[in-house]
Amino acid sequence: MKDPSSAISRRKALLLALQGAGALVMAGCENIFNQLHGNERVLSILESTEGLNRRVQRFLTGRDSLAQEFSEKEISRYFKPNGNPPPLTNEYIQDALNGWPIWRLEVAGLVNNPRQFSLDDLKSLPSRTQITRHDCVEGWSAIARWKGVPLSEVLKRVQPKAEARYVIFLCLDSDRAGNLYYESLDLYDATHPQTILAYEMNNQLLPIEHGAPLRLRVETQLGYKMAKYILGLELVASYREIAGGKGGYWQDQGYAWYAGI
Amino acid sequence: MMKSPTYRHNRITRLTHWINALALVILFMSGLQIFNAFPHLHWGSKAEPEEAFFSIIATNEEGEIKGFVQIYGWSVETTGILGVQNTERGPSPRAFPSWITIPGYFWLAGGRRWHFFFAWVFVLNGLLYFVYNMASGHLRRLLITPKELLRVPSMVLHYLFLRRESPQHGEYNPLQKLAYTAVVFLLTPLIILSGLALSPQMDVAFNWLPAMFGGRQAARTFHFLATFLFLLFTFGHVLMVLAKGPINNMRSIITGWHTQKIPDLAEPGLSQAVVEKATDDDRAITETKIRLADGEGKQVKEGIKNEGS
Repeated sequence: MKDPSSAISRRKALLLALQGAGALVMAGCENIFNQLHGNERVLSILESTEGLNRRVQRFLTGRDSLAQEFSEKEISRYFKPNGNPPPLTNEYIQDALNGWPIWRLEVAGLVNNPRQFSLDDLKSLPSRTQITRHDCVEGWSAIARWKGVPLSEVLKRVQPKAEARYVIFLCLDSDRAGNLYYESLDLYDATHPQTILAYEMNNQLLPIEHGAPLRLRVETQLGYKMAKYILGLELVASYREIAGGKGGYWQDQGYAWYAGI
Repeated sequence: MMKSPTYRHNRITRLTHWINALALVILFMSGLQIFNAFPHLHWGSKAEPEEAFFSIIATNEEGEIKGFVQIYGWSVETTGILGVQNTERGPSPRAFPSWITIPGYFWLAGGRRWHFFFAWVFVLNGLLYFVYNMASGHLRRLLITPKELLRVPSMVLHYLFLRRESPQHGEYNPLQKLAYTAVVFLLTPLIILSGLALSPQMDVAFNWLPAMFGGRQAARTFHFLATFLFLLFTFGHVLMVLAKGPINNMRSIITGWHTQKIPDLAEPGLSQAVVEKATDDDRAITETKIRLADGEGKQVKEGIKNEGS
């Protein structure tokens, strides 16, 4: 007669062997994908869909469609402040406490009329208020009420030159390694009616963790495009010469420049 | 009963089947990488932290890290699989483990690149399959008719060994047709539309897109659930292939040729099945089969015999 315990241990051994083989296959797959992902050519092939996404999506959506606007009661109770920590230098804190008398938005680069705007200057320009949904690349969404000056109103006053293609947003915040946050939009998104430089959130002055005194809202794209702690705008023909050359802080770390998806 | 090799899958079907299989695997694994960046699910438009109905979390109690899955206040420990992964350097918080994500380390931007590239592959490849097989008539044989819908319960009984005769007429059985029809006409549109609803640019033009799911966060939830319906279908599909002759089935999806058990000709419905089987394949074979099927019952029988030998 067969010893039942040996049958059980054989079954166990077989199961263990199967598990081991499974783990090996999975680890092999993981290695293959990690290696493929480390290969620049593979990455650039994968990246090739970014331009396709941008062209197809903009073709489908057209120029003037507006993002959905929500009602007061749909405003989020919690809105996660994401990204780099606030730039809490002495000057910044002092200026914030005094209501931003020193802060200026400097607009330069390929413009006919470079100039500086104080916060009061910006508030005296036409404003737009919108209750919109913020979609983070991580997957969450939050709704808030934003008030600010449409970026197109600012651009109108500085008159971009014909060769200007991008607006670069120069910001105060940086990561732990000291890399400054910056971002860029092409004029297509920069002049969208809901693209605003916001100075108010939920009927209050923009809170520090959300980018005081001035942040970008661009409702056609994901949150990582929305520069906070803005200090300057620069109009350029190309962003290749700036920082990592990919058009933004997150882009230099591998995120897509086009964040409409 | 006799056996006869038939040409079952045309070139486009075989090609798109394997491209689709690859695309689904990569979309699944890169999708889990993306999910890991925010391992919570919500209904509605926004994600209030306390309103998540599904979460994969890691807790740390006095240095002991544990993984949990929470669904509507119900919680189960999943340390080692979900929430916390055992690595060479000890337990590490991670919703889905590294061996099931692309890339295998935590890198959202990388996962997104794979996901969007293969989303295009999935859609264009699916379109090729759909248009070609719609035009050739192949797809019509896979789609369930209301009459066959009534036969689904008896097919289930047959599979459960509770009914001796299979209610199958023709090449595909009612349950199979139901599964294929649901995947092509419900699940595929669901996963594409719920994915597009996550795009802020698409939502700008089509406010109804997230709204049809009940908001963007709900669309994300549907996208996630549809993923697991695809996985369920794939398990069922592979299980049936294994149960119903893995070698024969694998040969037919690689070379196109399938050995079919042909019931006696006295059974009704057969000659029609043969005509159908012949329509979408290479010219030469098609012609032979059509000619044979056009004749009387006896001729058909002889014809199939010849092909089998």
